[in-house]
Amino acid sequence: MAAVSAARCLVRSYSRAKNVQRSKQMLVRCSTRTFCSGTQDDALPDKTKPQFTDPDVQDILTRITGMDVQKVFRPIKQELKPPTYKLMTDGQLKEALEAATEQAKKLLQMPPVLPERRPIDDVLSEDKILDGMDTAKYVFTDITYNIPHRERFIVVREPNGILRKATWDERDRLTQVYFPKEGRKLTPPLIFKEEKLKMVFSQDRHEDVLDLCQVQFEPDSSEYTRVHTATYEDLDKHGKYELLRSTRHFGGMAWYLVNARRVDGLVVDMLKRELLQDAVSLVSLFHMVHPHSESAQEAASQQATGTDLLKIYAQKESQRSGYIELALQAYELTAEKSSAA
Amino acid sequence: MTKLFSFVRLLINYHGGHVVIRLALAGHNQSNRPFYRIVAAYNKRARDGKYLEQLGTYDPLPNIYNEKLVSFNFDRIKYWIGCGAHPTKPVAKLLGLSGFFPLHPMTITEAERRRAQAEQTETSTAAAAEGVEEGQQQAEV
Repeated sequence: MAAVSAARCLVRSYSRAKNVQRSKQMLVRCSTRTFCSGTQDDALPDKTKPQFTDPDVQDILTRITGMDVQKVFRPIKQELKPPTYKLMTDGQLKEALEAATEQAKKLLQMPPVLPERRPIDDVLSEDKILDGMDTAKYVFTDITYNIPHRERFIVVREPNGILRKATWDERDRLTQVYFPKEGRKLTPPLIFKEEKLKMVFSQDRHEDVLDLCQVQFEPDSSEYTRVHTATYEDLDKHGKYELLRSTRHFGGMAWYLVNARRVDGLVVDMLKRELLQDAVSLVSLFHMVHPHSESAQEAASQQATGTDLLKIYAQKESQRSGYIELALQAYELTAEKSSAA
Repeated sequence: MTKLFSFVRLLINYHGGHVVIRLALAGHNQSNRPFYRIVAAYNKRARDGKYLEQLGTYDPLPNIYNEKLVSFNFDRIKYWIGCGAHPTKPVAKLLGLSGFFPLHPMTITEAERRRAQAEQTETSTAAAAEGVEEGQQQAEV
């Protein structure tokens, strides 16, 4: 009975969330579109290093993100409408739940992690005869409809006669002027300044900041990286990983921490919440990304899995090895007790 | 020549009219705040009247970043020029500044005139400043 009512309220919130999340889905789709064009620009010297986009890496990150459906479809601020009740058979309910999990998977799609874009400083022509022609710059945008925004021609004619390509900031601003995207502002909101970010973090609203950042900035802009780095650093410092678990930003945070080699806090948090499988997959991801570290080589030589992997990691690599070993022992005790009982 | 093929609805028969790409004032309800649409229209039509197609915009007042925003739909401009449209002088100047057309000679002439004016004002202010200094020195002496 309780399960049925829980499922019913889930279906209700899913159908409510469906309409509001449509715009979010579009944004995710837009961001994945730019992500596809971005990977072709990557030209890393060693191709053996695993990337964010590798299927194995993505698999691990989706697993550790978790799927807490209650959190994904929690009520969002929207118009007050009376709830709709549907009479369903068991089979229909099962289908509705499956549809809800599909929708949750789409909502949990990870935003792309791209390297920072190189600044544009291309000069198309230098006409010194035009020096002093006007006090203001002229900015010319091509508003042909069917070109992707990255390939649009946006040029600036300076008052000293130089015709140059527009910088990335100018490009973003003008694309927003002529092709406005929902939720994006022309000037970035003040919440992204350093002092305001600190205030927002003290109120535990990291997820909102990351969502706003997702809408406002392009994934490879410097502002995007700065805000994300600040958020992840703050989360790591205070150990508030639970805020992002089961949201689409968790994978990005895990990737950032793995690349910065500071996975200890996250592993400890996972062990505290008894998510052993997640901890194991996180450590295996660490070994995938840093195959030359001591713990990776040790694990490869011993072909370790499960708790052994964690023990090797705790001994070799982490700074808080004592804590991890304690937590492991506690977990093993509880496992024995539950198996004995 | 007249583009009768594309307009079956209204049988306007302009005698010797042609298509031009020109600036049309928009937002006529605001004084002292011009904003132009770059428009393909018949030559004989009113400046702000019915046009064939809007090809872009031009904002003559600079914004907070000291930019004058101009937009062109180059694809459609190429089409209309291919159909035989004539751009007017200001549109030709803007297209020249954007790099789509070669530079308009009047743009260069205007730049030279402005530079000459600036030099003149500089020399006159320099002379005035020197005159003031001399006056001060004489007063001190």
